[in-house]
Amino acid sequence: MSSTQSSSKPSPVPAQSAGVDLIRIALGLNYFHFGYLKFYPDLSPAELIASYTAQRLSLYWIDAAVTLQIIAVMECAIGCALLFNVGLRWVAPAFFFHMAATFLPLFLLPEVTFKFAPLAPTIEGQYILKNFVLVSAGWVVFAPHLRFLHRRAQSKVCAADVALEPATAAAVSQSPSSQN
Amino acid sequence: MNTAPQCVIVAMGLFGVSMGINAAYEKYHGSELSRVPSSQPYLASANAQPATSNPDSGNVSASNSQQDTKVPAPQQIRPASLAPDFEGLTLYPTINKGIRTPFDLWRFYGRGASSYASPVLPMRWEQWAGFHAKQKPGLMQDIYDYMASRFNFNKASIPNAHMSGGKPVMLGPVARLKDSVASFEDLGSLPAAEIRKRDLFPYKPLAHPLQSTAHMVFPQSWIAAHPQHARIDVDHDFPDAYLPEFPPPMFLTTHLELGDVTNGTEVTIDNYYEIFDGLLTPEQMEGLKELLRPSPTTWFNQTTHRVTTAPSKGVACLDCHVNGHTNAAFELGPDSRPNMARLRVDTPTLRGNFNLMQFSSKRSIRSMDHFSEVEEYFDGDPGMQQAIGPRAVKREVSNRMADFNAILDNPPAPKLDPLMQLDPALANASELRGEKLFQGKARCATCHYGPAFVDDYMHDLKAERFYVGRPEGPIKTFPLRGIKDSPPYLHDGRCPTLHDAVEFFNIVLQTKLTKQEKDDLVAYLLCL
Ligand code: HEC
Ligand code: HEC
Repeated sequence: MSSTQSSSKPSPVPAQSAGVDLIRIALGLNYFHFGYLKFYPDLSPAELIASYTAQRLSLYWIDAAVTLQIIAVMECAIGCALLFNVGLRWVAPAFFFHMAATFLPLFLLPEVTFKFAPLAPTIEGQYILKNFVLVSAGWVVFAPHLRFLHRRAQSKVCAADVALEPATAAAVSQSPSSQN
Repeated sequence: MNTAPQCVIVAMGLFGVSMGINAAYEKYHGSELSRVPSSQPYLASANAQPATSNPDSGNVSASNSQQDTKVPAPQQIRPASLAPDFEGLTLYPTINKGIRTPFDLWRFYGRGASSYASPVLPMRWEQWAGFHAKQKPGLMQDIYDYMASRFNFNKASIPNAHMSGGKPVMLGPVARLKDSVASFEDLGSLPAAEIRKRDLFPYKPLAHPLQSTAHMVFPQSWIAAHPQHARIDVDHDFPDAYLPEFPPPMFLTTHLELGDVTNGTEVTIDNYYEIFDGLLTPEQMEGLKELLRPSPTTWFNQTTHRVTTAPSKGVACLDCHVNGHTNAAFELGPDSRPNMARLRVDTPTLRGNFNLMQFSSKRSIRSMDHFSEVEEYFDGDPGMQQAIGPRAVKREVSNRMADFNAILDNPPAPKLDPLMQLDPALANASELRGEKLFQGKARCATCHYGPAFVDDYMHDLKAERFYVGRPEGPIKTFPLRGIKDSPPYLHDGRCPTLHDAVEFFNIVLQTKLTKQEKDDLVAYLLCL
C-alpha cells in the first residue's frame, strides 16, 4: 500500500454517479408527498408542529390553516423541481431556507421536541434532527448548481494551480452550468 | 433537466401520488380519527332526492304496506335542508394541551380526535411550567389587545348607580362599532342579513383565552386574596371595574333583618362556623361547609396535570360563587366536544336559585340538589375524575348543599312591590318608562317575567343570523332579579354592561328602540 491520497479513500465506482440522481429523486418524492398532504386539513402528521412554528414566527398574525397552505405550496414546488431536475439553482435557497426552518421547533418548541434537551428528543425531535441527513443530501444535489461555489473553486484553482492533481482540478473546474 | 420521456414518467408519478393522497383523504375524513365531520351521506341524499325518493308517495308508504321489505336507508329520505352547514366556517386548528387557540373560535367547526382526555401532561412538568412562563406574557398581551379592540373599557360609571355592596355600576355600551356604522341606533335599523354581510355585529361570542387547556379562570381581585389559585398559563381578561364586587354581600331568606350576614368578609372554610353558628340549621351548616370544602379539579389538583405552581388542594363551590354570588370566574360549559366547541360560561349567581326550574346554560338541570350532585369539576369527563380524584359527594350531602343554596336571597329591591311592579311613589319617570318598555315595545317580559324575571325556558336567540359563526343553540333565560350585581352579561360575558345587554337584545329582537328608550330600560333594570 502506498501512502498517496487515493489510497485513503476508496476509488469511485461507476454506479456511484447514479447516487446523486437517486438522492435527488428521493428528496423530491419526500418533498412532494409530505407537502401535498398538507393541502388536506387534518391529514399531515406534521400539522401541529408546522403550523405552530409558523404561527410563532409570525407572532400569531397568520392563521394556522393559511400557514399550512403556504408551507404546502413551497414543499410541492421544491419537490417538483427536484424530480423534474429543473431550476435547481433557483430552488436551492428555498430548500435551505425550508430546511433551516424545520429546525426551529427545536428552539421554539423544546417541550414538544425533547424529553430532555439537547440529547433526548421525542419522536418529533428525532424526526427533525434526522433532517441533518436531508441537508447533507441536499448539499450533494444542489452544490453543482450553486454559482458561488464554482467561483470559489475557480479562484482556488488559480491560486494553487500546481498543488492539485490534474484529474481533481478538471473535475472541479468542469462547470455544470454548461449542461443547463 | 430530465429528458422528455423522464419528464413524462415523473409527471405520471406525481399525478399518481396526488390521486392516491386524494383517495386516501376521501376514505379518511369523517372516519373516527378525523377532525372533519363527514357530510357524505347528506350530500348523497341531496343529490339522490329528486330522482328517487318522494316522501309522500314513494318510500314512506312502501315501507308501511310491505313491512320488512326494502326499508329505505335512512339517509335516502333525509331532505337536503338537514345537511350540515359549514359555510364560512373553518376547521379547528390542530392543537395540544396548552397551545394557544384563536380568540374567534365561533368561526370554526370540526370534531375532536377523541371524546376522552388523558390525565397525563404531554410533557414533563418542568417543561410545562417553562412553556407557559414563555407563552403567557404574549398571550395575555394579545388577549388584552383583543378585548380592547372589541370593548372600550373607559371605566365610566353610571352616576349614583351602585351594586348592593356599593361598587359603581359601569356605563355602556362599551362594545365598539365598526367605523362604517355611525351609531347603535343605525345598527339597530339594519336587517340581519346586512349586519352579517358587512360584519357589523358587536356582540359575537367570547372564547376562553386558552381554550386548549381552558378550565376555571379567576379574576385578579379574587386571586389577590387567594394567590395559590393564580394560573401559570392564563389570567382573567376583564378589567376589574367591569366585574362584580368582591367580596359581595350575602342575604339569607331566613334572616332579612341581618342585611349582609357576612359583614363585608369573604366566607371561607376557616371563618364560616364563627359567622353562621346559631343562624343556620345543622343541615344548612353542613351544606355550607361542603360548598366551602375544596376538592380536586381537572387542572387544580395534587398531580402534575395542573395549572398552579404548587400542587393544589382544589377548588370549592364558593371559590367562584363567592358568598353565594359570583366573582365572574369563567370556564367552559362541559356540554360539548371538542374542547374548542365548548362555550365560555361566566359564573352565575346562586342568589335566588330557589326560584329557578332550570340550572346551567345548556344542561337543563332541574334541581339544586341535582346540580350539587352532578357538578364534578372535571369538564364532563368521569375518566379524568377517576384518575385525579373524585369529589364523591353522597346524595345526602349534595342535598344539604342545596339546603343552604335554597336560602341565598336576592339583594333588596326597595322599589319593587310584591307583584314585582315598580312602586310609582318610589320610582322616577325614567324607571317607570323603562318598566313600560320592558313589558311592551322592548318585548323583554316575553321571556323575563314573574318573581325572578325568568321564564325557565331555553331559547335559541339565533344570534348567528347577525354574524358568520357556528350556531350556539338554545340557552336558558337567566333571571334578571338583582341583575345589576352580576356583570358581565350573557352566558359568556360578551355584554360587559347593562347597556350592552339592552343593545344586544335590541338588535337580536329587532325592536328598534331609541337612545332614550334604551336608557330608560337600563334605569329600570337597575331597580330589579
Ligand atoms: C368556575 C368556578 C365554579 C365553581 C368552582 C363552581 N361553579 Fe357553579 N357555576 C359556574 C359556572 C360557570 C356556571 C354556569 C354553567 C353553565 O352555564 O353550564 C355555574 C352554574 C351553577 C349553577 C346553576 C346556576 C344557574 O343559574 O343556572 C349552580 C346551582 C351551581 N353552579 C352550583 C355550584 C356548586 C354546588 C358548586 C360546587 C360543587 C359549584 N357551582 C362550583 C362556576 C362555578
Ligand atoms: C326570547 C326570550 C328573551 C327575550 C324576549 C329577552 N331575553 Fe333576556 N335573555 C334571554 C336568554 C335566553 C338569555 C341568556 C342568553 C345567553 O346567555 O346567551 C337572556 C339574558 C339576559 C340578560 C343577561 C343575564 C345574565 O345573567 O347574564 C339580560 C341583562 C337580559 N337578558 C335582559 C333582557 C332585556 C333588557 C330584554 C328586552 C330588551 C330581554 N332580555 C329580552 C331571553 C330573552
